[in-house]
Amino acid sequence: MQIIACYSNKGGVGKTATAVNLAYAFAASGRRTLLCDLDPQGASGFYFRVNPSKKLVDAQFFEDDERFIKAIRGSDYDNLDILPANMSFRDFDVFLSRMKNGQSRLKKALKAVKSDYDVVVLDCPPNISMLSENVFHAADAVVVPVIPTTLSRRTFEQLLEFFQAADLPETRIHAFFSMVQNIKSLHGETIAEMTEAHPGRFTQTTIPFASDIERMGLTRAPVLATAPGSRAGKAYQALFEEILGRTQT
Amino acid sequence: MTTGDDIYYLAAARLGDLAERDVQNLKPVLEWTEGSRPFAIRDCFDQSLRMSRRLLLEDGGLLELISATGEALRQPATPQARFVAEFAEGPVKAALAGLSPLRALLPIVSGMARSGRLALIDAEGKTRARAELRELQPTDGNAVILVTPQALRGYDRAFHDLVAHIRDCGGTPLGAGNLYRMIDPASIGYVAKPKIEVGREETAFDAANDLIDGYLPVARANEQGIIADLDTEFLHDYRVALRKIRSVLSLFKGVYDPGQTAELKARFSALMAPTGPLRDLDVYLLAQQDFCDLVPERMHDGLDRVFARLRDRREEEQARLAAHLRSKGYQKDIKALSKLFSKRRKLLPGPNASRASFDLACELIWKRYRRIRRIAADMTADTPDEEVHRLRIECKKLRYLMEFFGPVFPQDDFQNVLKRLKELQDSLGLFNDYAVQQIRLQAFTEDLGDEPHKLDMAQSVGAVVIVLHQKQLAEREKIVAAFTRFNSDRMQRTIRRLFHEGKGF
Repeated sequence: MQIIACYSNKGGVGKTATAVNLAYAFAASGRRTLLCDLDPQGASGFYFRVNPSKKLVDAQFFEDDERFIKAIRGSDYDNLDILPANMSFRDFDVFLSRMKNGQSRLKKALKAVKSDYDVVVLDCPPNISMLSENVFHAADAVVVPVIPTTLSRRTFEQLLEFFQAADLPETRIHAFFSMVQNIKSLHGETIAEMTEAHPGRFTQTTIPFASDIERMGLTRAPVLATAPGSRAGKAYQALFEEILGRTQT
Repeated sequence: MTTGDDIYYLAAARLGDLAERDVQNLKPVLEWTEGSRPFAIRDCFDQSLRMSRRLLLEDGGLLELISATGEALRQPATPQARFVAEFAEGPVKAALAGLSPLRALLPIVSGMARSGRLALIDAEGKTRARAELRELQPTDGNAVILVTPQALRGYDRAFHDLVAHIRDCGGTPLGAGNLYRMIDPASIGYVAKPKIEVGREETAFDAANDLIDGYLPVARANEQGIIADLDTEFLHDYRVALRKIRSVLSLFKGVYDPGQTAELKARFSALMAPTGPLRDLDVYLLAQQDFCDLVPERMHDGLDRVFARLRDRREEEQARLAAHLRSKGYQKDIKALSKLFSKRRKLLPGPNASRASFDLACELIWKRYRRIRRIAADMTADTPDEEVHRLRIECKKLRYLMEFFGPVFPQDDFQNVLKRLKELQDSLGLFNDYAVQQIRLQAFTEDLGDEPHKLDMAQSVGAVVIVLHQKQLAEREKIVAAFTRFNSDRMQRTIRRLFHEGKGF
């Protein structure tokens, strides 16, 4: 099982849109995929029209694997399930360790209901905390959207520093430029500078600033499902393929 | 993600009901994918799959084997594949391993299929449960919808509501049987070995009439398959049916008037004669691999050329036989014979006509058996081939007699005798095949004329003939052993009890 975390220590950078579209792309490629909504503001679940169940906020929730499984909802798409939970750090810690451990009751319970996932995509909350550190340790890849502006540059460098300080391998970071507007010269310059400053950290693919992505709030569906041929759709598909290539070698 | 593999089927006429009204506040939405594709239900001519309560569905690029309880095995279809061996490896092919490798899987029903989806959606537009739909519209017959409900994780209640809704609309759990019935309710099966009940007290005349009247339709049912050259079993079954009829005429002595017996024998013999050359060629071509296995690989090129020639000849013979079966003369004669044995008014009883079947059977079987023992008793390693051949023919006649009258004898003893007889016949059959093949193959090389690769071909055939000769010698020893088993004291007592002491039961 592969864990892909979508993370940004800055809000409003297109992180949830990335998590939703990547999860969709993984599922569409035939991989059994679970998208976990860890960001209370991100609302991955909203895009799939899945409402969080009241049970999910129970403090004791993750003590019980059965109830965890009951919280998972099938999306409208093949191979894609959603966990629309607002998790506390403690819950999440338990959740991650159980997902990773093949011998855990959770893994066994998932297998029993034929939901043993190939890929788990995490939509993470935007701060560097104990939760984030656990995510970085557990994840096979940390996908980081970066808007090519000066401010984003600073937060990205903070993330790299955090990785160094925590002795985490930077190679897990797969950053990409998000909400790119080609008419802005600042965007172009920042992309060039950052790519040069951090060789290997950025994907070739950039995600454009596109109305299709904004419309996800209305269509309540991934761009890859509603407009796969659009500029944004093609960009997400390319990003998926690049992430796949980078994480499977 | 989805679970649940149960498939339901319903008449296409009920489709409208599925999407007509809300299901527990969920809105049904029915969508068909654009376009349709051909489908076919395939089976052997003898309906091996239907008899084993299975259904083979080729739907576009997918091959599915549906069991009586509705479980389905799936694998990609292999275009143009007709025999099991030609299918790509997969679970369906593996499950079909028990079918005859000689029988083609023919389309028994075909038409167009399309796919769709029925979704139950909530007020937010979220799908809570859905079902995959497949409509099969046969060219002849009633259209059906296959419905596979799919549960979405976390929406169990919606799934149960959907299943209840499907059942309300007439959905029934799918099994191979109910799909056959709905699509093809009037199918009448072909049976290569019809069960013809011969009663103990039935007259020999009636028994002979019943047998011939039972086997004539079997022969006729195979005519179209031979003409279309669907597989080699059509001709084989055709010949077996005619041979059974001829053996009734020759073995049931005195049942018909002598003049009529002679005339009927001649007519059935004339029906059989044109089928021989094609059957011989079929047998060789089916054994191509076996022949190749007999000789070293360097001989294979020559053998391949031999088989290429045989295939050409087969094509000619097949065309000849097809033309014959379509001819007015043949059609007229076979119809007249069918009428003769169904109406029976013009059949003339002979001196044994009114004897009870059981008595006559015992007498005939006992005579044959004693003759077999006489021939076999003198057999040594030096017995000429012709004598072995005679033994084979006698055994064959005994076997036919026993099978015709089988139902009137106690089964345990009867089956024991039959089992030993079959063993002996298998050995005799192999011996004969080896002998005949040597002669035929030699004749084939002498007949090659100016064939450019004559030498290659003759060498390969020569190598095969040597091996066949050795195998023939080895088989002779096995015949003696098989006869010893057939002729054991215990077998002798059983046969005497069954057929000579007039007790039967």
